[in-house]
This record gives sequence, structure tokens and C-alpha cells, in this order.
Amino acid sequence: MARPSDIRNDELRAQLEAAFVAMRAGRGGEAVKTLAAAYLRFFELFPDAKKETFLFRGFTIPRMMRWPNLGANLKPESAPSGTPEIEFERDRFAASEAMTYYQFVLDEILAKQDADR
Amino acid sequence: MKFGLFYELQLPKPADADDWDPDAERRIFHDMLDQVELADSLGFDYVFEVEHHFLEEYSHSSTPELMMAALSQRTKNIRLSHGIVLTPPRYNHPARVAERLAALDILSNGRVEFGSGESASEMELGGFGVERRLKKAMWEEATREILNMMTQTPYQGFEGEFFSMPSRNVVPKPVQKPHPPLWVAASRRETTMVAARLGMGSLGFGFETPEELGERTQEYYRLIREELMPIGHAINPALAVLNTFMMADTDEEAMRRSANGPAFFSYSLGYYYNPAVGGKHKPGVSNVYRDFLNRSDETASRQIERGGFLSPEQIASGEPEDEIQKALYRAARSGNAIGTTESLRRTLLKYEEQNLDLMIFVAQCGDRRHEHIMESIEKFGKELLPEFRERHLTNHTKWRKEQLRGVDMPINSSI
Repeated sequence: MARPSDIRNDELRAQLEAAFVAMRAGRGGEAVKTLAAAYLRFFELFPDAKKETFLFRGFTIPRMMRWPNLGANLKPESAPSGTPEIEFERDRFAASEAMTYYQFVLDEILAKQDADR
Repeated sequence: MKFGLFYELQLPKPADADDWDPDAERRIFHDMLDQVELADSLGFDYVFEVEHHFLEEYSHSSTPELMMAALSQRTKNIRLSHGIVLTPPRYNHPARVAERLAALDILSNGRVEFGSGESASEMELGGFGVERRLKKAMWEEATREILNMMTQTPYQGFEGEFFSMPSRNVVPKPVQKPHPPLWVAASRRETTMVAARLGMGSLGFGFETPEELGERTQEYYRLIREELMPIGHAINPALAVLNTFMMADTDEEAMRRSANGPAFFSYSLGYYYNPAVGGKHKPGVSNVYRDFLNRSDETASRQIERGGFLSPEQIASGEPEDEIQKALYRAARSGNAIGTTESLRRTLLKYEEQNLDLMIFVAQCGDRRHEHIMESIEKFGKELLPEFRERHLTNHTKWRKEQLRGVDMPINSSI
């Protein structure tokens, strides 16, 4: 079960809870902005997560680049620098896009939390 | 657990020629009709067919609505399932999708399943001018309106971001009310959870192991109960998983008959869905099957030799972390549903224990032979299907009822 209440860090938990409320209220843009901020804050709070990588088609890619580029896009050049940046192509996001970002950020935070346990 | 068949209509070119045999396309279309007719007579529950465009050799299934219309007249009970219709409006105008689904539902006496999705291949996105970063938003807007067209009399009209139309009565209306059961293509865990929140069945293209499935099933049904924001007017709580399939009297013979089907399935999927490779495809010229046979990737070559008889644990070892890459890897490694009756029973019971709703078999792939697919369908239908059906009607139906207790949305599901 993955819920914001499972997040131990108070700040990240509050951001995910706020994103959840916005998503449920149909405010997709607000939800995605909150989730992008939470994702960036996550790397500030857990700097070792920046160093994590995964293999993709034979290339070693920074794990942070798994972020879904659905209109709130992670600047590729910002990942290797260790200071990720997300730029917004638009302000409006559909419910399914907000849900995708929400699930992604929630899973990433909880996975890190479990790995550090 | 229920069972279905899955069709891409794969048609590898001959390795030693630049084009197909002139009769090849006619043959695979008619082979599919024969296979599904047999499956229906034996009690298979579903046939799923994709919609893809321009993906030569990987998929010649660009008009699933026509195949389904033909099948509606050759079968009696099997569910005719779009797995999936591309709903971003540049592929298909939403009103045309609503009309075709309703007409097929009438022709089949209410046997349609409406799966929808976006595709991710550059050949398709570029071919129809669909912008990659907007495709999910397009899918959602169009799918939502297609469902309104099937339920509103008249359809009230729509001014949207990606399509607009004035009020019209979209006819005919489907037999199933308020609309056919909904599915969405899901190759990542997060998409499965999006499916749950939207009240749609999850068509899992990730070749999930039974162990992964247990966690996903629990979370999927929890979200259906607690976080539903339905896209349609009735929900379809359902989880489906794909698996490559071939049966014979011995495991060795099943592997031989499986040929390079799973490996080519995986290779050609990766070929078109990798922007770096798919973008280099030369329409009408490239020979994907020849490339597949000549590839230098030793690991991939070994997949053919070692393809089967791997436990889920072995399949999971050393595989890529990225979910899409993992799905390709697993599709190629096959193993799970290739073998004897006893081998399959053993594997499928593990999925049943995790409360999977629907297992969909990929039988037609690569250069597998029609007669081997027919024999496999017959063997499964006679030797395994009855026992799984019996448990589905008792144990699974009861389990599912408990999972859905308290859900106050209308449910239209054939599970």
C-alpha cells in the first residue's frame, strides 16, 4: 500500500498530501507543480539519490531521469550536474497526467525510504 | 482467472527476400479468424487485438474494428476486445470511435470491450502528427468524450483542447449500458494505478511475475475502493497480464514450436519503440526480421537458445530495471506459458494464487506456424481451461466481490 501518510519526512509528506488534494479536486496543474517541487526537494533532502543510476538500452542513466516528461520536463543537462531542474511547457495538466506524476513521486520517495531502512 | 488471446498480426519478412509472399497478409488475417473461432468454441473468454499503424512486420493490425466485425459473425461467446484503440483525435475522430464501437457491440450482441491508449512509437506519432508530450492529455480528453457520446442523447457537444464538435446525436448506441467495459494499456506500475483511479481495467503489457502481481493487485483494488475518479459512467475493475504461449506434448517440443516468436516479438517492439532505432526505419525497404537474425547482440541471440523453462525467479535475475526494458526482456525470455499441460498448470496456478483476473496469451508472433497455434489452443481449451473456469466461478468471483464491497459506482465488467 502506498499512501502519503507512509512518508516519514514531514515536508515531503505535506507536499504529497497537498498534491493529492489538488489532484482529487481536478486541479491538475497545481498538483503537477507541487509534485515537481516535491521531486526536486527529495533530491535536496536525500543527495545520495542523485548518484543512483539505472541501465537503459546499454547506457547508464541517472535514476532521476525516470521522471515522466509529460509537459513538466526534466532538463536532461541538469541531471548530470546534480541539480535537477524541471521546466513547464504548459500550466494545464489532465487528471491522468497528474495521477501519473503523483504515483511516480510517491513510489520514488517510498522506494528510497525502504532502501535506507 | 479468465483467459484470452492477443493479436498484433505479426508478419516477419522472409530473411532471404526483400518483400513478403504476395499471399502472406491474406493468410495471417484468415489464420487469426480460424484461431479465434476455435478458441471461442473451446470456451476462451477474450480475444484482444491491437491497433497499430505503419509498424511493418511487428504489427499489421491497423483495422481491428474490421477483424472484430468479421469475428462477431464467426463466434458466439468470446469477448471482442480492443487492446487497444488509439484515441488521440489525430488517429481517430472520437465520434467515429464511438460509432464503430457501438456498431460492433450491436453486431456481436454486446460482446465488445473498449481498451484505449496512445501508442509511443515514432512511426505512429510522427505519421499522424501526434505530439508525444501531449498524447496522454489527448487520450484522456478524447476517451472521456467518446464515453459521453455513447451515453448522451443527444451528445451535448464539446469545446476542448484537442478536438471540438457541436451537439449531435451520435448513433448507434451500444447494446451494453452505459457503455462497454473499459481498459487502458499499462506497461508501467504507475499506469496500472492510474487505471485504477480512473476505474479502468489495466491491460498489463509488462509481463509481470506472479510475485509483482500480488502487490499490484492489492494496490489496484485498494485504489478502486478508496481513490476512484472514474473517466466513464461505469467502472471495469480488472487486471490482465500478457504471457507468451505455446503448448505441446513435451516441453522441448513446445519450445521448438515456439520458435523465435517471443524473441522477435520483443526485438521488433524494441525496434519501433526506441526513438533512436525506430526513427531510422525505412518504410517499405527495411527488413526487420533479417536485422533480428543478424543482430550482433549476443545476449539477444542467446534468448532464442535458452528461451524457455525459466522460473519467474530466473527470469527476474539480471534483468533491466527500467520497466519497459524489463517487459521486452521478459517477452523474449518467454518460459512462463510455453510447455506441457503440467508445466503450464504449475505456472498459471501461481498467477491464480495472486488473484489475477485475466491472463492473455500471445500465441501469434514471429514465425510461429498456424497449425501449432491451433493445436495449442485446442490443448489448452480441453486440458486446462475447464479447471481454471470452475475455480474462477467460485473462488475468484467471491474474492472479487469482497474487494469491491462498498464501491458505489455502477460496474460493467465481464470478469
